[in-house]
Amino acid sequence: MLLAKNLMVTLGASQILHDVSITAAPGEFTCIVGPNGSGKTTTLKALTGDVRYDGHITINNNDLAYLKPWELATIRGVLPQTSVLAFPFTVIEVVRIGLMTGADAQDGCLALQSLARVGLAHYADRFYQELSGGEQQRVQLARVLAQIPHAVGEDGPRWLFLDEPVSSLDIAHQLQIMSLAEQFARDGGGVIAVMHDLNLTAMFADQIILMANGRILQAGPPSVVLTDANLSQAYGCDVKVGMPPPAGIPYVLPHAARHTGLVATKS
Amino acid sequence: MMFARQRKSLLCLFAMCLGLLPVKTVSAETTDSKIMSLGISVTETVYALNQQHRLVGRDTSSTYPPDVLEVKDVGYIRALAPEGVLSVAPDLIIAEEGAGPRETLDILKDASVEYVEVPNEPTASGIVEQILIVGRALGVEGDAQALADDVAARLADAIAAADAQPQNRKRVLFVLSTRGGKITAGGAGTSADGIIAMAGGVNAIGDVEGWKQLADEAVAVAAPDVILMMDRGGDHGIDNEGLFNMPSIMTTPAAQSKSVIRMNPQLLLGFGPRTPDAVEKLSEALYDPAS
Amino acid sequence: MASDAVVHLADLGRPKDRLQFALKMHVYLCILLICVSLASLTVGATGITPWDMAAALLRGEAPEQMASIVLFDIRLPRLFMGIVVGAALAVSGAVMQGLFRNPLADPGIVGVSAGAGLGAILAIVLGGLLPVWLAEATGMYLVPFAAFVGGWGTTILLYAVSTRGGQTSVATMLLAGIALGALAGAVGGLLAYAADDRQLRELTLWGLGSLAGASWTKVTVTVPFILLALGVAMTLGRGLNGLALGEATAAHIGIRVQRMKNTAILTVAAATGAAVAATGGIGFIGIVVPHLLRLATGPDHRALLLNSALLGASILLIADMISRVIIAPAEMPIGIVTAFLGSPVFLWILLRNRGAVGF
Ligand SMILES: Nc1ncnc2c1ncn2[C@@H]1O[C@H](COP(=O)(O)OP(=O)(O)O)[C@@H](O)[C@H]1O
Ligand SMILES: [Mg+2]
Repeated sequence: MLLAKNLMVTLGASQILHDVSITAAPGEFTCIVGPNGSGKTTTLKALTGDVRYDGHITINNNDLAYLKPWELATIRGVLPQTSVLAFPFTVIEVVRIGLMTGADAQDGCLALQSLARVGLAHYADRFYQELSGGEQQRVQLARVLAQIPHAVGEDGPRWLFLDEPVSSLDIAHQLQIMSLAEQFARDGGGVIAVMHDLNLTAMFADQIILMANGRILQAGPPSVVLTDANLSQAYGCDVKVGMPPPAGIPYVLPHAARHTGLVATKS
Repeated sequence: MMFARQRKSLLCLFAMCLGLLPVKTVSAETTDSKIMSLGISVTETVYALNQQHRLVGRDTSSTYPPDVLEVKDVGYIRALAPEGVLSVAPDLIIAEEGAGPRETLDILKDASVEYVEVPNEPTASGIVEQILIVGRALGVEGDAQALADDVAARLADAIAAADAQPQNRKRVLFVLSTRGGKITAGGAGTSADGIIAMAGGVNAIGDVEGWKQLADEAVAVAAPDVILMMDRGGDHGIDNEGLFNMPSIMTTPAAQSKSVIRMNPQLLLGFGPRTPDAVEKLSEALYDPAS
Repeated sequence: MASDAVVHLADLGRPKDRLQFALKMHVYLCILLICVSLASLTVGATGITPWDMAAALLRGEAPEQMASIVLFDIRLPRLFMGIVVGAALAVSGAVMQGLFRNPLADPGIVGVSAGAGLGAILAIVLGGLLPVWLAEATGMYLVPFAAFVGGWGTTILLYAVSTRGGQTSVATMLLAGIALGALAGAVGGLLAYAADDRQLRELTLWGLGSLAGASWTKVTVTVPFILLALGVAMTLGRGLNGLALGEATAAHIGIRVQRMKNTAILTVAAATGAAVAATGGIGFIGIVVPHLLRLATGPDHRALLLNSALLGASILLIADMISRVIIAPAEMPIGIVTAFLGSPVFLWILLRNRGAVGF
């Protein structure tokens, strides 16, 4: 279980998070949504211990404040919204950096398997800096998966914290990555993802946390959170849920697409 | 048999590594020993005493007389490399005060190379002492005494002649370098101060101690009548126009009268057997520029 | 989907393993260092060689005093000094580049050497003012220790100025390096006024940068400092790899980032400080060696650090050999040789990285 109680975060001079409380269960896919600047990333950073916070966070019943970095590294992986890389590492080397401290570091194939899970095994020897933004993000996800390869460990569930994991991906890869995360949850792990795309969120989330202005507006299953009233208030514009566009205008929903596995094999 | 001998040699090597084994030493003979001369004054004295056939090495600054250029140069006098010095195999090193570094000198001592340090005071008695010490080190005391007497006499004459000139004493500023638009000049206690005094001049910055970079205003206040410089190239080789247009110099009497004297630095500052000539030359340049 | 992956993995074959190659490189570079060391013991103005001496010994002759002095009191301490200083400079460069996440960071270029130099100058000039008991207690360790403190202060200042939220601004770093270098130069110039003639001579000499003054005394002062720093540096490989992904990610994969950074800074300061105090300013080793190795074997710091130490030692020994034979029996200051070898490589790195560096 992941519990956060009354989180307050102040960055610079201004208070960014006000009294944020979150409960996320293992086995569930939790999505945080909200307009730009509403504090989604900041919330995730508090949950991963990147920023100083007031309040209380426990992960698998351990107080986050007392967990050592290497202990945390074995129970949760973090995919940041943007990643940087100094020096010309190859793709496989980047994934192995994530593997260095993981419990399964001995497994020689793990890095390549993780790459295969995000559909990039054939890029193993390319230089990371030569990939497109979306490909880089998938490599970073592979790095996280190599660090946390199993959804449940001996001492409890494992956690994935993903900040906009699919924002820069095409629709096929969006589905692929979301399915991966969903599978992690089905296997008993916990997933907390900051999301941009409300349709994808509605499709995959077990719990949605809707944020605005550094506060939680509403948390619960998609049908409860994704309402006209909630979304209009959060995003500051008139939003209608479940309205197809006028006849004649094409629209594409992820629900109608099916992940075929083709993307993983293209070379 | 063979095996035993080899083992003994290996033991020998081991002992030597530990510094346990006494090693053969080479002792310097005084009469015909090979010498290395470090410093302008020492080298010129060696030539003046006609002992140049014994020279096997010199430092970079020793360039007079021109013949000496044939002798191997072991580098800058203050940064001698021990193996370079040992490679020319001197029995005796005669060095001006200040040669180094200490680490090199320590090793030379260990190598039983005889080392004589010669003080180099920029005074008449300093020159005499220097000649006598070099002479003793070379084993030619008699010649050295004669040379010292001769140099002392000529120097006394030159100084007396300079003193006797009827004009007012000129204020002289010795400029070592104008690098970066900043004047570095010789104050009290420097060799430049010594030669200026001998030649009947007044050091324009006699109240400053040692070699100093001067503030522009300090140069103006010093009000030199003449600028004295070295005649070699490099950054010392600023031309007259450039010199007199330097803001610090522009206001001085020297700039108004366009008075600059350039002299060979070895001759001027060497303080060896040629110093009487230097005094004559400088004094002449100061007070009798026409001749 | 998992079954998909397995099929394709078999098709793809094993990816290249640059780390394995880099680890093999340890062996090659060790062999190189041994060869260069032997050459360094053999080459010199006197033409004395260890082989002649060994042959003489095998014949049962007592060794010449001259030969034993040249080999054991001149070349051997110089060899040790060259190895540790070369290793220190190259490893400081590699650690600094990992810490600043930039291939241009180098103690010489960003002013750490200047700071260390300033510490050394202060110790040389003002050392005489210390109370007697303190002077006796510190003894010959005073200068390297002061250089260490100077380098340490500069590195911390530099890091504080040029790094925000785990990201280093290269422009700020280089500019801060220029400023710190100028400051150190200015204070050094100021001290030159206070120095007496002997101290001034020591300062000039020391500024030239040379291994010529390597004596057993200096070796015993310098080697422990540097070996300690290098030993600690070798543990930084994993941490620096993580740092390549940014401070936040480094923490996420289990690295104690702040502690690692502090260790890296202390290591650089100790290694650079001791090297600078012992041999003066020797440039470019710290930037050229890690760069060449990254090209050859990849940027993985777990192998890069030891490889840098080995190659740095070899290259400094080679530069030293050049410096002592090229105008023998005189010697060229070694800083000139390394600058000749290094500055083209530096420019080449700048050219290749023009986009990344932001010029
Ligand atoms: N380091 C920082 N210092 C000050 N304010 C920040 C900092 N990082 C983010 N903020 C502010 O905090 C708010 C929330 O940011 P963030 O959590 O990144 O939003 P998002 O929901 O888009 O991920 C924004 O208004 C942003 O400007
Ligand atoms: Mg965000």
